[in-house]
Amino acid sequence: MRRTVLGMFVFAVACAILASWPAHAARPGFDAKEIRIAQWGPQTGPAAPWGAVARGSALLFNMVNDSGGIHGRKIKYFIRDDQYNPAQTKAVVKELVEREGIFAFVGGVGAACGMAVKDYLAQNKVIWVSPSTAIDEYVFPVNPYLFAVYPLYDDEASILTKYIVEKLGAKKIAFFYQNDAYGKSGLDGCKTRMDALKMKLVEEIPVEPGEKDLSSQMLRLKNSGAEVVIMWVNPTTAAIALKTSQTIGFKPQWVSSNTLSDYPLMNKITGGLWEGVITGAFGVPPTADHPLMNKYREAAKKYAPEERFGTFYLAGVLFAEPLVEALKRTGPNLSTDACLKQLNSIRNFQGIGPVINWSPTVHQGTDSIQIQKCGPDSSYILLQDWTSNDLARWKKK
Amino acid sequence: MDMKRDYYEDIELFQSNTVFFWTVVLMACLFTLPLYVESYNIYLVNIILVHVIMAVGLNILVGYTGQISLGHAGFFAIGAYGTALISMHLHMPFVVSLIASGLIAAFFGFILGLPALRLEGPYLAIATLGFGLTIMHVIGRWEVFGGRMGITVPPLDMGVPGTPLSFVIEGDVKIYYLILVITILMVICARNLMKTRLGRAFVAIRDDDVAAEVMGVNLTVYKTLSFAVSAFYAGIAGGLYGYVVSFFDPFTFNLILSIIFLVMVVVGGLGSILGSVLGASLITYLQFDLLKNVEELPYLGDLLVLVSRKWLTVIGLANFSSIALGVIMICIVIFEPLGMFGIWIRIKKYWKTWPF
Repeated sequence: MRRTVLGMFVFAVACAILASWPAHAARPGFDAKEIRIAQWGPQTGPAAPWGAVARGSALLFNMVNDSGGIHGRKIKYFIRDDQYNPAQTKAVVKELVEREGIFAFVGGVGAACGMAVKDYLAQNKVIWVSPSTAIDEYVFPVNPYLFAVYPLYDDEASILTKYIVEKLGAKKIAFFYQNDAYGKSGLDGCKTRMDALKMKLVEEIPVEPGEKDLSSQMLRLKNSGAEVVIMWVNPTTAAIALKTSQTIGFKPQWVSSNTLSDYPLMNKITGGLWEGVITGAFGVPPTADHPLMNKYREAAKKYAPEERFGTFYLAGVLFAEPLVEALKRTGPNLSTDACLKQLNSIRNFQGIGPVINWSPTVHQGTDSIQIQKCGPDSSYILLQDWTSNDLARWKKK
Repeated sequence: MDMKRDYYEDIELFQSNTVFFWTVVLMACLFTLPLYVESYNIYLVNIILVHVIMAVGLNILVGYTGQISLGHAGFFAIGAYGTALISMHLHMPFVVSLIASGLIAAFFGFILGLPALRLEGPYLAIATLGFGLTIMHVIGRWEVFGGRMGITVPPLDMGVPGTPLSFVIEGDVKIYYLILVITILMVICARNLMKTRLGRAFVAIRDDDVAAEVMGVNLTVYKTLSFAVSAFYAGIAGGLYGYVVSFFDPFTFNLILSIIFLVMVVVGGLGSILGSVLGASLITYLQFDLLKNVEELPYLGDLLVLVSRKWLTVIGLANFSSIALGVIMICIVIFEPLGMFGIWIRIKKYWKTWPF
């Protein structure tokens, strides 16, 4: 009995200490010599190919540092491997913010990974620029510390559908989508555009991610007589779909989202079937003769000769561009608020990605994509330059 | 070891004053941990505690009863989703939703235990594997569960959410104390349970199920019960895990997670509660924290970066984490089949006669 009472007493004291526990403050993310910027990304595990995004950002930061840094401060850049596991993302983000002190995060692969740390970053007033996924929850309602570049999937689908109808002159269009938020928002965008054009899809077929046998779906698509099939799926499903339709002799014009715009990779996993596929793209092609792209290509030879200069790697550069720009504009008197002010006033900024506009009320930076086609030897053919979505739902309000 | 004179000495929680003393010291350390550990590490400790509950539960099934399960991530998912959804939609206090989802997991454990009556070894592994994957896909398909996008966990509420009785617990440190208390209770329960008729029946089944049946152990009851108890632990662990990470999607509970759980138990030591605690701590630490900051070490960091540049893939030091984790696991299994529990026993024996 006495032991129980004693135990309860200790417990009560512990609880009391706890209730008055001070909240842990994050360390400042910069000092006179450096600005600390970080990114998480799967370097190992099932999603490792996307890890190139985090390494791509390093290229831009290396270039900035070698040209003297930003107003006398060098960028110290941290990459942490989270193996695409939200629990690990949270662990590495907390450690970085509280131990190293991080000024801003850039990029960040994985919808669940980002969602797990979104609120934590905002509570600690850490800026987060360009998550590498399009999710409504990131930007609606506006999160004061989060700035998105990635075009929303429904905007992209809408622009692609317009192109298919008006430029390719297709009458029969089918939609093949992954049964999740990603696939469904693509479908929504496509349908909104079809309604505006007073047309109907001939077939819409969902697929579960991880499904390995797509013969029934492909037969249905074939029987629908579709000339164009828009697919909003992951790389593996796309590869299976193309191979299956090849065997049953179904050869429509395939159109897909920017998530499948790494042509060398897609050609590798489809065994060369990717040639002729049209995709959206949120950055100019890696092979383009574009002044910035030429500069990055040269820099990559110097800083990371062993990296493949592909879409994911470049995405890392693209995501980091607006942050570097905002830091430059902020000037020598750096603070989170000052940088936020500059980010909020970015207008018509363009690097190798789309034109970005941010304002205090809208943090979705763009609704523009390019349309590209996979040519022979995985080359990139530009079909349509930056186009924005006149039907974008978030611009109407 | 020590001489036991009667049965009650064997089931005592503290077998000697020394054990009692060190237990008190350990408890004191655990309860004052946030005073001297950085707060970002408290998050890691929370994950470790959750995994400890999980590993203890899995060890009841694998180590004590001798049944294999590659589907425990499924029970973990049931616990996580159950707790979050019950407190979100039914506005139940935390304790109620946690226990309820533990029981739901236990029910599924019972169901999965039925085929286990006829399956053994690799066949059982396949059946449980199927279960784990099924749960992951079913949850992903239903919008009620947040679909593949996942769900944000509501705040941890000890009272009734949405009423004046609401009492929200926030922050890693506060959640740490809550999880710590629950973990201690669960570990003591497991330890005591294994010393009862139930525990002895489990061990009898593990050693020889035919002989156990001859002795009067009802296989149907005890095998399914073992699955249910183990699943209950997994459910509780899952519920707590949800509050620790605050967001999860179905893919979080994938096959790799089930295997990592099994690794914890094997590395820690089969059929030992202490082993599960050690195994869960070590593996979680290795997985979450190992080599994350090695780059900043003097000399060694630069050397490793150089080696990685030269011979390994472009991802840099992440290479070494995976290699080190793998090597440590292989070494433990080869050189110490009893796992970390075996190492502990040897250390104890060595010090017994020290300094001779």
